[in-house]
Amino acid sequence: MNLKRQLLLVSLLTLMLPWAGCEFIRETESALRRGQEQMLEATAGALANTMAQYDEEFPRQDDAFRVSDQLYLHELAGRPEVDGYFDDWSLGTGSLRSLRGTDGPIRFAVGLFDQTIYLYVRVIDHDVVYSNSQALVLDDGSRHTDRISLVSSNPPYRYETIAFAAEAPGKILSYRQSANGIASEPTITAHWQDTPGGYQLEARLPAAILGTHLGLVIHNTDDTANPGTRSSSFSGRTPGPSVRLSSYLNAVADRLVKAPLRLIVTDADGWRIAAAGALSARSPAGGRLGVARRVYGLLVEPGENAASAEPDPSGREQQTYVSSALQGNATPDWFRSDESGRAIVAVAAPITANGKTLGSVVLQQGTDAILSLTNEGLARLINVTLIATLLVAGTLLGYATWLSRRIRQLSVAAEAALDNESLQSALPSALAGDEVGDLSRSFSSVLKQLGDYNEYLRSLASKLSHELRTPLAIVTSSLENLEHEPLNDASVGYTTRAREGADRLRRILSAMSEASRVEELMADFEPEPFDLRAVLESTLNAYRDVYKHRSFSFDCDLGEAKMSGSPELLIQLLDKLVENAVDFSGEGDTIAIGLAASDSGLEMSVTNPGPPLPERMRSQLFDSMVSVRAGKDSRHLGLGLYVARLIAAGHGGRLDADNVEGGVVFRVSLPRS
Amino acid sequence: MTKRIAIVEDEAAIRDNYAAAFRREGYVVDAYEARAPALNAFESRLPDLVVIDINLKDDVEGGFELCRELRARAAELPIIFLTARDSEFDAVSGLRLGADDYLTKDISLPHLMARIAALFRRLDALQKPQAAESRITRGDLVIDTERMTIHWQEQPVGLTLTEFWLVHALARYPGHVKNRQQLMDAAQAVLDDNTITSHVKRIRRKFLGIDPSFDAIETVYGMGYRWLSD
Repeated sequence: MNLKRQLLLVSLLTLMLPWAGCEFIRETESALRRGQEQMLEATAGALANTMAQYDEEFPRQDDAFRVSDQLYLHELAGRPEVDGYFDDWSLGTGSLRSLRGTDGPIRFAVGLFDQTIYLYVRVIDHDVVYSNSQALVLDDGSRHTDRISLVSSNPPYRYETIAFAAEAPGKILSYRQSANGIASEPTITAHWQDTPGGYQLEARLPAAILGTHLGLVIHNTDDTANPGTRSSSFSGRTPGPSVRLSSYLNAVADRLVKAPLRLIVTDADGWRIAAAGALSARSPAGGRLGVARRVYGLLVEPGENAASAEPDPSGREQQTYVSSALQGNATPDWFRSDESGRAIVAVAAPITANGKTLGSVVLQQGTDAILSLTNEGLARLINVTLIATLLVAGTLLGYATWLSRRIRQLSVAAEAALDNESLQSALPSALAGDEVGDLSRSFSSVLKQLGDYNEYLRSLASKLSHELRTPLAIVTSSLENLEHEPLNDASVGYTTRAREGADRLRRILSAMSEASRVEELMADFEPEPFDLRAVLESTLNAYRDVYKHRSFSFDCDLGEAKMSGSPELLIQLLDKLVENAVDFSGEGDTIAIGLAASDSGLEMSVTNPGPPLPERMRSQLFDSMVSVRAGKDSRHLGLGLYVARLIAAGHGGRLDADNVEGGVVFRVSLPRS
Repeated sequence: MTKRIAIVEDEAAIRDNYAAAFRREGYVVDAYEARAPALNAFESRLPDLVVIDINLKDDVEGGFELCRELRARAAELPIIFLTARDSEFDAVSGLRLGADDYLTKDISLPHLMARIAALFRRLDALQKPQAAESRITRGDLVIDTERMTIHWQEQPVGLTLTEFWLVHALARYPGHVKNRQQLMDAAQAVLDDNTITSHVKRIRRKFLGIDPSFDAIETVYGMGYRWLSD
């Protein structure tokens, strides 16, 4: 992984910033909500105390009835048309209560508007049995029909049943059965409507004709001879007390609580008997922050569904916190809307009087203030984070690019310096005060030392030969003088051997100083135009004379190869390569010399069969005093190829060596004139 | 008359060896180890030939200085540099100062003796009238083997002893290729390829100085050189 990617990865750490911000927002939101809860709790407590003063307004608890025996009279917002349809009721279908019927669930609702009671019942009945005019709407009659009865009582005095049975769909008459007998009741309006799979009934009754206790009974029969089955909203013989909003408590609540607070007062069973105020419906944030809204929704603690905070459509508040309050404990709870993200804090407090729990006060408040506060913070956070992340990532990327470019430049420069042998050249970043600068300086010093060492090696041969020349002159001149002295045979032998040794030494010394002489020649060499092909051919003939135990082949496609340079030096180069080729090949081998055109100019090659070059010393092959030869000739000083490279470089060309099938090839690339 | 050779050489062993060799040949030898004593002695009497080392103890360029002063004093005095310094630059510097030959200490005593003898012979020849039989003429080239002078298009070409012998060897049999070994033998020296190349280059340059269209010395690549006559 390169430096740029590494730093980019590091820049991802800035994403910690939004995380921390989100944590902060979440914490803030929770803290604010808790504060609001506490405040609401205190208010709810106070309200509960206030409500406790109106204890006579709360329905009396009657242990004879169960909660399910009671009917809730929903306060209607408008007067429904009695036409057998529920859709003009201001209630949702959630307000419909269910009873188990023979053919399917029976759904019904009881509403209250302007001292009038409205009844809606929908019955699943696969076989509706209508009555006829003669038939009496009686439980114990000889003829049975499908019918709906509203049981009303005012214990312990009255017990009446108002029965609805249809001769045909449409407006129907209803009958009132009391202790006084059965009579049709003209104040009641009812509409019977057939539906696929059953029927539905809507009825309007003056509240005055009904008692405090109400219940619903549905008779379903398949046959006039059969009494059928009875589905009832109450379990006992008589229905439980009906519950309705207390207008007095409602007025009190209205005085106490205004929007954006919502107050609900329940009785001891959780039935809603007063409600006031409303939660703010205002959407706290515009569409512009839609994204922020969604992010916010993901960020904050999810709560219970906000719909649960709404007043229960059945009329009875059944949320846990309300039940808990009815057990005597003030309990807070909170809800969150998925769409708007806003939270609703709710607190239920018990209303107690004389040690008895009369009911509960439910106080709710939206957290619009918190939301808008945190939303604003969130939007700012998102912006700042985005900018910061981009800034940091961009900066780091730029920095990484800059840094890696410096390092790459350094490495390229170092390699170039090594390749071009310009080891003293300044490397990039040498003046920088940082680690890259240090690296550059260390590189420079290593390269310089290497350069010094190379320079030392390069000059070693000529220095050595120079230094050795004087003592050698002493030896040879002494020997030459000695030859003029009278010597016996043995001494003559020794002197001759000493002369031979000194001669050999002289040749070695002169080979050692060859490189520096070639360098000198190169320094003031005047290029002359010549035909390399002609020169090579002529030289090749000389080689055939000198090296009688080798064959030479010449391969050249070019008619002539004009170039500019020093033919003498190039021949010297070829001498070195051929000498090398002869040394490494065996007797009778063919040394192939080639000349061809190349991209950059001309390429001269010398190929000889023989052992391959060792990989290990490939790069040093052309250095001074380096011999890759394995002990075949101990007099080899490793100067020949160095001289060859000097000459090639002096002509603006280069010298390469490669292993080929069964041998070695040396290639000299030369620029054309 | 016995010739007197002065040798200025800081290396005692070499100095003594050369001195012994010169004496054996019948020369009178004065040996000096530094520039100052040599100059002092030359004040009173000039030798007939001087052999100088360039590097004289701490006096790194002492030989050059000495050569310059001697040449100022005696234009005809043969001066030979005999030194361990084999660089082209030093050789050119030495010859430019008016030395008659520049030799490295590689040279064998017999070769050195041959050169000294040749120089003395030339000195003698200059004092005699020019002898026709010692002249070789090859077109524009005239070689006087006695005086060891060469004229091209009747203008003298200032060649060193080595250069003279090289041209002489080449021009004697025009058209014949002389290989490096033959040239070395002719020049009474052991020279390597590069030195011969430099010598030939220098010879060509000297002829070109007189005649810009000079091309009588031809390189036969891989073989040697030959003299082209028209």
